[in-house]
Amino acid sequence: MSKQIKVALIGNPNTGKTSVFNALTGLNQKVGNYPGITVDKKQGVSKLNDDVKANIIDLPGTYSLNASSLDENVVIELLLNKNDKDFPDVAIVVTDVENLKRNLLLYTQIKDLEIPTILAINMSDRMQRKGISLDIPILEKALKTKIALISSRKNTGIDELKQLITNYENLSTEPCLDASVIDKSYFEGLQKAFPNQLLYKLWLVITQDVNFGKVDKKTIDSVSEFKTKSESDLKRLQQKETIKRYQFINETLKKGQTIDPNAATDLRSRLDRVLTHKVWGYIIFAAILLLMFQAVYDWAAYPTDLIDASFASLADWTKENLPEGAFTNLLAEGIIAGIGGIMVFIPPIAFLFLFIALLEESGYMSRVVFLMDRVMRRFGLSGKSVVPLISGNACAIPAVMAARNIESWKERLITILVTPFTTCSARLPVYVIIIALVIPKGTFAGISYQALTLMSLYIIGFLTAVFAAYILNKILKIKSKSYFVIEMPNYKLPLFKNVAITVIEKTKSFVFEAGKIILAISVVLWFLASYGAGEQFNNAEEIVAKEFPNLSETDLEDKIAAHKLEHSYIGVVGKTIEPVIKPLGYDWKIGIGLVTSFAAREVFVGTLATIYSVGSASDSEDEETIKSKMAAEVHADGKKVFTFASGISLLLFYAFAMQCMSTLAIVKRETNSWKWPMLQLVVMSGFAYLVALVAFQFLNK
Amino acid sequence: MNSIVQNILVFTTLAFALAFIVRKFIWRPKKASTKACGNDGCGCS
Repeated sequence: MSKQIKVALIGNPNTGKTSVFNALTGLNQKVGNYPGITVDKKQGVSKLNDDVKANIIDLPGTYSLNASSLDENVVIELLLNKNDKDFPDVAIVVTDVENLKRNLLLYTQIKDLEIPTILAINMSDRMQRKGISLDIPILEKALKTKIALISSRKNTGIDELKQLITNYENLSTEPCLDASVIDKSYFEGLQKAFPNQLLYKLWLVITQDVNFGKVDKKTIDSVSEFKTKSESDLKRLQQKETIKRYQFINETLKKGQTIDPNAATDLRSRLDRVLTHKVWGYIIFAAILLLMFQAVYDWAAYPTDLIDASFASLADWTKENLPEGAFTNLLAEGIIAGIGGIMVFIPPIAFLFLFIALLEESGYMSRVVFLMDRVMRRFGLSGKSVVPLISGNACAIPAVMAARNIESWKERLITILVTPFTTCSARLPVYVIIIALVIPKGTFAGISYQALTLMSLYIIGFLTAVFAAYILNKILKIKSKSYFVIEMPNYKLPLFKNVAITVIEKTKSFVFEAGKIILAISVVLWFLASYGAGEQFNNAEEIVAKEFPNLSETDLEDKIAAHKLEHSYIGVVGKTIEPVIKPLGYDWKIGIGLVTSFAAREVFVGTLATIYSVGSASDSEDEETIKSKMAAEVHADGKKVFTFASGISLLLFYAFAMQCMSTLAIVKRETNSWKWPMLQLVVMSGFAYLVALVAFQFLNK
Repeated sequence: MNSIVQNILVFTTLAFALAFIVRKFIWRPKKASTKACGNDGCGCS
């Protein structure tokens, strides 16, 4: 049996930590959550040699062990607790060769926890261009460790790093800084009260309010022979600790690092001046966004159409070739239609995440965050809210989770609450089909009315999110510190492997999380639409034949199917809620779509597809057929169901309503309370109802 | 015969779908731990 070494990969954000993780583990990795919180936990296995394997855990990026966010807290919790099943045998601190001074702060803190620590200096391929040279033996001696000079981009130094991990038992655990130098008498008292505990660990417990073993802050405060200090005194001591650490780092780098500015060729400063410019910065960002959405719709349309057509053909084939019966109908009208409804979302989601990954990997996203902070702050948001608001165009679930790195709780909460207003990809099929039905074809300045309507819906979503943030900022009485720290990484060509892994992970997560829900709901819906109780459902054939004696066979079959649907279980539910939605211009079939879309918006089109295909004798299920059936739908008084007024009302309802159970669940997890998701559900859906009502009543005149 | 088998398959599929929805949205099995605090009595319940 091979030996297993537990390795923790730690580092500041943007040091290429994930690239190192990918280089070490390849595709042998899995993403999960830390227990009880929704911080991603990435783990992977690296084969070091024939006898030794390393279980590598990629910890969230952190600037220091002084936690200010949920992600950073995870790092401290793990490193303090020897009983944790993931407690590392060896830690690798990944640093960026261009930011060694700042990155080494975290290194010295981890070293002081007396964990065997390897220093990996990444991006070494840039040393020459930046005029940097390092004296590795001197640095190793001063930092009391082994150093691996690596480049995860060029894949150099990874074998040396693996070698160091294999021999981790030879690493020194001597600390860099004697914690007692921060305040002699205070630390002497602390050590006397807890003689068997590591002094620096105790200090972290006091300042970070975390725990390890049987020791937590309360235990320390309750020990009579030791008197702890006030919050402000502790803060002062923390500052003193940071200064001492930087003094040590400066001394070390003076001996082991030389930077020759004359040898550096710096494009970064020139690019930054343009990309964060107060006018050009916004214009460039808007142009990139336009390009991104244009490309997402244009490029994704081809594979989407292909997938759509393939599933329609498969449903037809199933009906034609399998034995006739209820299960064959379920396969064709429920399961295959349901899976098709999931698969058509893959191309737009993959394309969107491809662009987001490219922007992040290139270093541009950090400039956007910096740029937007000026605007967002006026509305109670942070520059970092831009990432969730942009990600929200794909799916609100990862977007809400992306708000974790916003340090201020108030700004984070507001971001979480308003993100579902942005137009997620699940709204897209609803918009596409309704716009095609009610917005006339034609162009304005070369752009079609339909495209303009779609763009307006995106703008309405974003502006509502910002406006809601402004209101919440005024209403919410939450006191929290608001500060903004963002790393400006160097510009670099995105690594194909990293981009590919991001796209695959995000798409996979959509297919297997949302996909399962859509499929299950499609099955239930099909059943409810195909079965019913009572005379009207069971004797539909006789009743319709008596009512319409002169119809052709096909028309009669259609009438019977429609009659059965109306008296099916789902028909009864739809008819019950019809009085509530009638003022918005909707009939009971749309009502069913609205109800099922509270599970997930994308279910709406699938629901109508199921209802209209069950309610018709026709076998064809392609979008045109559904569209033409929707266009032909009439109320009892003969008026069309999908008119300009009811269509706009429906579009606005979908733009504002909180119709996604998974988002509500994730908001509950992120805020640790049902209060906030319930508030979202009631306020957003109430607002949507009101706007849709006003729109219909106004336009229907 | 064919009709009976098809109906059995329909109801089995429906049962699986309902069980999945209930598990996903209504009843979730509780997870053992809510905090990464190790295996000893560290004070966090």
